[in-house]
Amino acid sequence: MQSHGIPRVAATTLDKSEQARNKERKQIIQYQALERDVVDRVKAKDYSDTTFQLTSQLLTQNPEYYTIWNYRRLILQHVFARELAADEEPSEQDSAAAEKANLPPAQHEVLLLIKEDLQFLIPLLKQYPKCYWIWNHRSWLLGTATKHLPAHSAVTLWQAELGLVSKMLGLDSRNFHGWGYRREVVLAIERLSSNGDGEKGSRTGNMVESEFAYTTKMIQSNLSNFSAWHYRSQLIPLLLSSRNADTEIRREFLDAEFELITRALYTDPYDQSLWFYHQYLMATLNPANVQALPVLEPCGRVQHARYLEREIGSVREMLEGAEDCKYIYQALLEYSGRYLEVEAEGGKVEVGEMRGWLRELRGIDPLREGRWRDLERKMGL
Amino acid sequence: MSLAAGPGRGHVAHGQLPGELRLVVDKHVAYIQSLDTRRDELEYHLTEHLRIGGIYWGLTALHLLGHPDALPRDGLLAYVLSCLHDDGGFGAAPGHDAHILYTGYSVQILTMIDGFDALEEKMAGGKHKVATFIANLQQPDGRFAGDQWGETDTRFLFSAFYTLSLLGYMPHQRPSEPPMIDVQAATAYIKACHNSDGGFGVAPGAESHSGQVFTCVGALSVAGELDSYLGEEGKDRLGAWLSERQLASGGLNGRPEKLVDVCYSWWVGSSLAMIDRLHWIDQAKLTTFILQCQDPDQGGIADRPEDMVDVFHTVFGIAGLSLVGYPGIGEVDPA
Ligand SMILES: [Zn+2]
Repeated sequence: MQSHGIPRVAATTLDKSEQARNKERKQIIQYQALERDVVDRVKAKDYSDTTFQLTSQLLTQNPEYYTIWNYRRLILQHVFARELAADEEPSEQDSAAAEKANLPPAQHEVLLLIKEDLQFLIPLLKQYPKCYWIWNHRSWLLGTATKHLPAHSAVTLWQAELGLVSKMLGLDSRNFHGWGYRREVVLAIERLSSNGDGEKGSRTGNMVESEFAYTTKMIQSNLSNFSAWHYRSQLIPLLLSSRNADTEIRREFLDAEFELITRALYTDPYDQSLWFYHQYLMATLNPANVQALPVLEPCGRVQHARYLEREIGSVREMLEGAEDCKYIYQALLEYSGRYLEVEAEGGKVEVGEMRGWLRELRGIDPLREGRWRDLERKMGL
Repeated sequence: MSLAAGPGRGHVAHGQLPGELRLVVDKHVAYIQSLDTRRDELEYHLTEHLRIGGIYWGLTALHLLGHPDALPRDGLLAYVLSCLHDDGGFGAAPGHDAHILYTGYSVQILTMIDGFDALEEKMAGGKHKVATFIANLQQPDGRFAGDQWGETDTRFLFSAFYTLSLLGYMPHQRPSEPPMIDVQAATAYIKACHNSDGGFGVAPGAESHSGQVFTCVGALSVAGELDSYLGEEGKDRLGAWLSERQLASGGLNGRPEKLVDVCYSWWVGSSLAMIDRLHWIDQAKLTTFILQCQDPDQGGIADRPEDMVDVFHTVFGIAGLSLVGYPGIGEVDPA
């Protein structure tokens, strides 16, 4: 949205020469003529191939021009409807290709058009990975394919999208649109491969293993990836239910995740995204946090207390050599506060030590002094 | 009358010491007024889709700066009404298709310039028509689409709520009439976007993002459900996540490990204000950061110091200053 990260240059360097101004004037005239042409044609319901090509030209110059994307879809809708309603005999060559794709000729034609448009979007996506309208149009194309084509054909298209989105996330592992699109793609593939009895929006979970493995791969290549850790956290409940995990398997699973994140935290305790994942694992044990689904089933108060004890101990050890790391004190205070709630006797945590942590935290993190003051009052320190 | 919303012509600041930092009000007013005079630049034409947004941002900034009349009302009114479609939706510029976001901006502008009578003159039953356009975009699961093409986003849901609220068509504003939208389904959808870290994402399962936090918290606030839904625990958790957006420079980022950006002064700041936790960040440092992003000579505010200014970051920088009570700026409603 808007200009981000564009260095400010002195106004004097922007004073254009007469030649440059002439050139710009010409560009404006050309741009406006192209725009006028497209708008007039669409208003006159001219849904020809020429109009379509002109929208390509205009969108390549200005992919933020959402109205033109809408026009492009109008044209495509019109062409698809015409293809699907046509009763003319296809050429021998076309029928052969359609037969090979196991599709009636009209549907095969629609498939080819959709593929062509998906191809058109690739360089645009690479150039403008944060443009909502390009992702949107892609998603519309796939949705339309799902509507007009049999599942076996649509699912192939969606599967190719998984490859594309992995490539996009390889270029920018935090791309918000990319992660959102990935969720959409996975849902669509699961729905289409579940014999159509999957409810809309529900997850059959048959891709959960491979998606979970994908987050492992992303995290291994870069620990500091909040998006990947978040996605991982979302997959865990699905993963466990698809594995029909019993109490024992669930416990082993949770312990393995704790081990993974603890090792990562030892590598870099200053990394915020790692702490969010640790916090998430702890939240699954906390019945008060309804946004985190339980991993352990059942998870009782005693078990919650044992985990808190263990993690407080392990986080406390991280302090050595990282005494200036605010996240460690935050975690110690948060988990200790919860521990005192579930374990009235306290035992493993002393209020005096908590006061010390809070004092350290306030020294390191004065930006959030108001928050620490509230915390002090809330915890009665 | 319209404003260019693309990157501005900039100027490099020389030697302004932190001690001298102050808001250059007159320069910002002049900057916003100048945005209508850039038709000789290709950029002006390539950003036509930001025209209504640009007017909304520019006008809001002028209101906060205490110069609400710095742009001619008649020109603004004529321009906004020229973006209106027969179905009650507004496009981003004349001839551009109707969309929920631009309808929201247009209604905000009409509210600021007292333009609803003119709307009724142009279209009989205009307010009701606009409200109907919005209401028709609600999906059975509570979400709102942006337009007839069906893309959904929590931004659109918030836009629907505040627009209906400004028009006086939220169900609680008309208890004796059948409700135009299903508020409960909409808030249920927002709750499904709530994450265990306290934040909200763009869809169920999506990672928390400050922009989405703002829209979800804002929508819950318009629906009157914010306090009852979050409770003190939920506010603490969300407040913790939001307060971690502040980095050493004083600026705020949108997600963990991202760069600070002036526009998040508003998304994060107003969300914190709505849950009564604005004091969880260092407001003096935020003020300094925003002031450092100004172009002190030509006016306007950029995303970060030394970057190109634009009207979008100008308004969100000024709104951020208003939140923290910077002297001389009008008060802003956090939602
Ligand atoms: Zn920004």
